[in-house]
Amino acid sequence: MTLLPNPLILAFDTSGKWCVAALLSGTRVLAEQVEEMTKGQAERLMPMLTEMLDGAGVTWADLAAIGVGTGPGNFTGIRIAVSAARGLALGLNIPAIGITACEARAFQAPSGACSAIPAPRDMVYLCRHEAPNAPPELMPHGQAQAFAAGKGLSLIAENSPQGLAEAIARIAAKRWQVPQPAPAPLYARAADAAPSRHTAPTMLD
Amino acid sequence: MTQTLTILGLESSCDDTAVGVVRQTGGELPEILASVVYGQAELHSAYGGIVPEIAARAHAEKLDLCVVEALRDAALTLGDIDAIAVTAGPGLIGGVLSGVMCAKGISAATGLPLIGVNHLAGHALTPRLTDAIAYPYLMLLVSGGHCQFLQVNGPDAFTRLGGTIDDAPGEAFDKSARLLGLTQPGGPAIENEARQGDPKRFRFPRPLLDRDDCNLSFSGLKTALLRQRDQIIAVKGGLTQKDRADICAGFQQAVVDVLSKKTQRGIRIYLRDNPAVPSFAVAGGVAANTAIRRGLETVCAENGVAFHAPPLALCTDNGAMIAYAGLELFKAGHRDGLDLMARPRWPLDKTSPAILGSGKKGAKA
Repeated sequence: MTLLPNPLILAFDTSGKWCVAALLSGTRVLAEQVEEMTKGQAERLMPMLTEMLDGAGVTWADLAAIGVGTGPGNFTGIRIAVSAARGLALGLNIPAIGITACEARAFQAPSGACSAIPAPRDMVYLCRHEAPNAPPELMPHGQAQAFAAGKGLSLIAENSPQGLAEAIARIAAKRWQVPQPAPAPLYARAADAAPSRHTAPTMLD
Repeated sequence: MTQTLTILGLESSCDDTAVGVVRQTGGELPEILASVVYGQAELHSAYGGIVPEIAARAHAEKLDLCVVEALRDAALTLGDIDAIAVTAGPGLIGGVLSGVMCAKGISAATGLPLIGVNHLAGHALTPRLTDAIAYPYLMLLVSGGHCQFLQVNGPDAFTRLGGTIDDAPGEAFDKSARLLGLTQPGGPAIENEARQGDPKRFRFPRPLLDRDDCNLSFSGLKTALLRQRDQIIAVKGGLTQKDRADICAGFQQAVVDVLSKKTQRGIRIYLRDNPAVPSFAVAGGVAANTAIRRGLETVCAENGVAFHAPPLALCTDNGAMIAYAGLELFKAGHRDGLDLMARPRWPLDKTSPAILGSGKKGAKA
């Protein structure tokens, strides 16, 4: 395979109340789209990507790699994007690179900031930038603020979709030529499931 | 010109991640080129039932790998495929979504047509995949949470003659097995126990047999089993192996009787249409139960209706049935766009009034 001077990277994310995508050619953003929505990401994502490629005058076959946001975030949302990315990677025979929300937010954040991903019920997933391999930790918002303050950092628990896809694309652009594991959702929290409440009867023999 | 069609089918609506490849040339018997199924039983065993979030997580990271494996088994590449079929419902929505998104990704990447398949149509059309039976035929569909009698008139034309108004037999088997401390899935566990049991010792109810229709009910049967169990425990402090086997035998006999009797009624309604080759087929996991199968075979023989039961591996969830249903829909000109919606509920019969489920989520059957 010959490496084009400006490889095309398509990145997208549906980890929150949005559908976002960006198309990167080398270091240049050819297109970026942000659509806010509370539901309907599964129906909207693929037509939106098709429109973006059409608008930029390129085809699926021109892509060098896919970048996808893997969360943490809405469980169903991160599965929507990751499943689509894996299907695309398989069909195009190109790599799909999973980028965590922490990586993307760190890329977006100014220096001197510590990022966290908002979660329901006033909780956040605190990103551990000092330990990049450590999974984000779910904790109350206040606790995360105290943690950041203790390190002399400001906490950014922003949940805006603006710039998110571009960040994912730019990080993916740095990684795609090195073999990566298939993207997988980063849930950072176990599934809610209670063990069976039915007790088996005592057997007498 | 004889057309050869090769369809890839993805299934992820419950606790099996499955991909199949089916090929048909002209009107010949279709051929299953691959059928890869990864079950999740061990992931759910601690919870006494399928946990939707756990199922969805497993599907999302397995589907594309199953596609690769199925293509390898079939010795094909995506370039040999004519269309991508995918279960778009009904089922556990997290898993359905993963399948639909993976299929959309493959479809967009390759330009292959996308076809959303109703999971129940996959089961209902399986007798055509395995036995090439002609429309119209009578179908007893007993898959997971579903149980209905359907007259199958075409790949997208189903008339529901009746169905369960509460639990499906599959659920009744699973819940009953749990109450008796047996393993999941409950069907094989109860059948195994019932073999050594006396079906006459305990008398379980046969709900709705007094009603001259094809509707069924199984939740009362499960409650009756719980009462019987607790009566014995109250006296003895537990169950003996024999008690348990006898309960299973009595329970299974009640299910056999209800399904047989209602099948008799379904056949009567179906025969009013004077089908050229009267045929009955049973599909879904419950059709794997030997006693149930034997009961249904007897009813068919008595009524001069050919009996069909697809092999067990094609009665439980699989990708080949989705590929085949997709193949029939493809031939009928059906195509879906990249905005294909995943649906938790999707009744096969679009016109009959709902007998189960309502409100915001809509009818279940």
